[in-house]
Amino acid sequence: MGTGGIGIVRVSGPDAKHIALGILGRRPKPRTAEYISFRDGQNEAIDSGIALFFDGPNSYTGEDVLELHGHGGVVVQQLVCQRVQELGARIAEPGEFTQRAYLNNRIDLAQAEAVADLINASSAEAAKASSRSLSGLFSKEVHALDRNILKVRMYVEAAIDFADEDVDFLSDEALQQRVEETRTQLDSLLTRTRDGAVLNQGLTVVIAGAPNVGKSSLLNALLNEDRAIVTEVAGTTRDTLSEKIHILGMPVRLIDTAGLHESEDRIEGEGIARAQSAMQQADLILWVTEDGANQRPTELPTRHLMVLNKCDLTHNSPGLVDGSTVRISALQKFGLNELRNLVATVAGHRASDDAFAGRPRHIFALETVGHHLQKVEEFLASSTGELVAEELRQAHQHLGEIVGETSTEDLLGEIFSNFCIGK
Amino acid sequence: MNFTEQFDVVVIGGGHAGTEAALASARMGASTLLVTQSIETIGQMSCNPAIGGIGKTHLVREVDALGGAMALATDRAGIHFRTLNASKGPAVQALRAQTDRALYKAAIRELVEQQEKLKIFQDSVVDLELAGDRVKTILTRTGVKISARTVVLTIGTFLGGRIFIGHEQHEGGRAGDPPSNVLAQRLRALPFRVNRLKTGTPPRMDGRTVDYSLLEPQPGDGNSTVFSYIGNVQSLPQQLPCHITHTNSTTHDIIRRSVEDSPMFSGAIEGIGPRYCPSIEDKVIRFAERSQHQIFVEPEGLNTTELYPNGISTSLPLSVQLEFVRSIRGFASAHITRPGYAIEYDFFDPRDLEPTLQTNQIENLFFAGQINGTTGYEEAASQGLLAGLNAALQVAGKSGWYPRRHEAYLGVLVDDLTSLGTNEPYRMFTSRAEFRLRLRQDNADQRLTPIGHELGLVSKERWQQFQQKYKTITAVKEVLQQTVIQPDDSRVPKLEQETGESISREVRLVDFIKRPRVTLCAIQRAGWLQDIDTKIAEQAAIDIKYEGYIARQDQEIRKARAAEGMTIPVPFNYTEVNGLSTELRQKLSESQPKSMASAAKIPGMTPAALALLAIYVKRNREQRKIA
Repeated sequence: MGTGGIGIVRVSGPDAKHIALGILGRRPKPRTAEYISFRDGQNEAIDSGIALFFDGPNSYTGEDVLELHGHGGVVVQQLVCQRVQELGARIAEPGEFTQRAYLNNRIDLAQAEAVADLINASSAEAAKASSRSLSGLFSKEVHALDRNILKVRMYVEAAIDFADEDVDFLSDEALQQRVEETRTQLDSLLTRTRDGAVLNQGLTVVIAGAPNVGKSSLLNALLNEDRAIVTEVAGTTRDTLSEKIHILGMPVRLIDTAGLHESEDRIEGEGIARAQSAMQQADLILWVTEDGANQRPTELPTRHLMVLNKCDLTHNSPGLVDGSTVRISALQKFGLNELRNLVATVAGHRASDDAFAGRPRHIFALETVGHHLQKVEEFLASSTGELVAEELRQAHQHLGEIVGETSTEDLLGEIFSNFCIGK
Repeated sequence: MNFTEQFDVVVIGGGHAGTEAALASARMGASTLLVTQSIETIGQMSCNPAIGGIGKTHLVREVDALGGAMALATDRAGIHFRTLNASKGPAVQALRAQTDRALYKAAIRELVEQQEKLKIFQDSVVDLELAGDRVKTILTRTGVKISARTVVLTIGTFLGGRIFIGHEQHEGGRAGDPPSNVLAQRLRALPFRVNRLKTGTPPRMDGRTVDYSLLEPQPGDGNSTVFSYIGNVQSLPQQLPCHITHTNSTTHDIIRRSVEDSPMFSGAIEGIGPRYCPSIEDKVIRFAERSQHQIFVEPEGLNTTELYPNGISTSLPLSVQLEFVRSIRGFASAHITRPGYAIEYDFFDPRDLEPTLQTNQIENLFFAGQINGTTGYEEAASQGLLAGLNAALQVAGKSGWYPRRHEAYLGVLVDDLTSLGTNEPYRMFTSRAEFRLRLRQDNADQRLTPIGHELGLVSKERWQQFQQKYKTITAVKEVLQQTVIQPDDSRVPKLEQETGESISREVRLVDFIKRPRVTLCAIQRAGWLQDIDTKIAEQAAIDIKYEGYIARQDQEIRKARAAEGMTIPVPFNYTEVNGLSTELRQKLSESQPKSMASAAKIPGMTPAALALLAIYVKRNREQRKIA
């Protein structure tokens, strides 16, 4: 998953059929591209695009495979991922599709070596991230969370397995409090990781506005500044143009909604609908108006910034007007730095040592941990110790997807080194 | 001389593993010989006189569900039953029985002697004679040769045993019995990895010298519970209370002062002891902040005054033992009948075993019990049963059977042992079972008796009783499905009061019972399902309550099974796997997991590392195919 013109979500495995049925509402015809909407649990459309289904073993991985080609926006892709997870999928490990392809005899040894290198590289990257973690907050905090869950489990499991000893902590208020603290810790971590993920994956920014306000000039101005790393990507639709740039190190997909500015002159058509849909899926909209005219649209679906262009004509000084408005001259390249900073701020961009390396699968894992911790809190008051323990085990296991699993041995070791157990 | 008869299964050792092994193979129809150093010690409880406890209860019930002897013997010998964890949920609930040693031994011996197809022979085994990779004959000290189609070795701590009391040390099995040193030497020559473990016992005391009025009594459940699914409270002997006392700061001072005289601290013992059963020296030193430690004063039997003070195992010199024991409340003039001691012994690395407990080097040799690095009667008995049934299967030319982690605690036990090994005496805990919620002690029969029936381990009587019970459970579930509580039902106020739940619209019983605070007892008290046996109905209710969890675990199990199916050749060269950390590479090389599932359990294993490993394992297989 990343930012591109088209976002592809691929599901592989025996449950792919079931998941297809869940998200598409019907089973797609194998090996046939069809335009269809992707639906959430309430049968509301999340996105629409091309769905492809391949019957195993005649697929890339050798298993049943479902491919959903939707829009490239981070938010949309996350929603689609979330939906397929609800239906039973999990986020793939690095290189896992190719690994499965190899294990199912779909590719040969030479290709597999390449996959091994790929996995290797990504774990090297992970290793680098974890060495950085001495100063990096994410890794440190995930480990702290892991320790805390282990501690809670230590109390709960000791109470269960050593009922004869002096270790019955289940009705202890201190345990309740520890669980609450752990959940608060998780919630805060999750919030910041979500911000971090947007950072990592990049933003989809749409430039919109009335005709002749200088949108193209703004696009060019930002592109020119960024010339060295500009790459052109084909747009998802004929009437929007997508460019990839970097703003203060953060990847940004900039979309010019070419069709929208003529919307008043034309009868409603497919092009307008698509431009509006691009806006709906944007993480951020730069609404461009002429300085002095200050016409706000009545309704903007996502976070937006007001860009007052052509200040060289009004002789107002360029720069920040308020927290969501900036005055520029695209032509004279006035105020562009202020605009970049504002975009970065709104996107949650922070100083680099505060940045979280959260990936989508981290977020999903943390969300699941949170769900189980909530149950733990609930059950401590109302239910039996063994159910508390089960929810904790699940929570720990899902956190283990990020930090590596904790074995029973580790848990027992924790119990024996902290409590005097045994007859 | 030679025994003219060839036996299908020869079991060496008459402890808890040996007797269950011999009984199991004989039940399955294999001609079986049990060879023991002394017929008098068959079924001997060499450590504390108790069966069961948390986690261990599950093993006892599983052995019982497969037709074993342990639960039946306990029901004839138990003099104090206590339910543990009653409030923490049905899956972790447990039962513990203090037993009369003499009654227990007599019960086991009777079961052994009455078993068809099973013969006993008293002698020490000194050698196993091999032909190729099979054991052919067994040689005893008196020169008797016994020819065997399969052999189950269950010789406990008798292998290279060494006993420590203070600075004294001597060779020995459990105190009073000789160790099997000749055999130990012979076995060390076989291609198995051997390591050393240690364990300890407390001093035993004369009950007539203990002042019970100063101890805190701990009453049992009375005559209300039994271990066996086919047991009967009427068979229970007289019930006795247990007692509790505590060490104090004087006790701790005495121990601290003399700790140099403990062989464990002086370094004379090299074996590793269990962390969950530390000696009193260990407790005092490691948990210096504790002002007291609990001691359970357990009766040894109905016709003896001897006591087992559980909680003060020690290897201090006898003079120090006497001094610290007498500093304890109620023990001021206690007489020690047998000193506490530490024992160090050999065990075979269980990673050299298949999960059927067959050794992977010698195909008709099985190991069970303490020689595999476990501790506890229950752990031994369940392994014995598994080894015995697999020996019988092998003789019959059938493939082996063992339960999986989600099917039985026995499955957890053999999987842990054979895939991870152990470096301390391995004891069962419920926390070892990730699928704990489905492995309840009340449903071991539902999990295993049908398999036991298929294997020929289960008597006709037990099978019929089980089918009857199962039918009732199914019927109860049906009733729960179909019964709807109407809010205007006259029993509703009582139900609301019993459960603390309010009922404002109609609700099916099956949904109502899923609410956390609702128990089947409460529903019965309010007037529903009154004609059904509470225990059986409760089991049906728990099954329903936990449906959601079971379904979630089903997914986990599917995933684990897939990984189990992916085998890794042994030995595997982990140095060729690029991208593994040095630490992981070392751990993997050392434990040589047999499947991806086992590899996944190695501490520190990450999903990425597993993915890498999968690729290299397949590559290795393809390269070997070409070569």
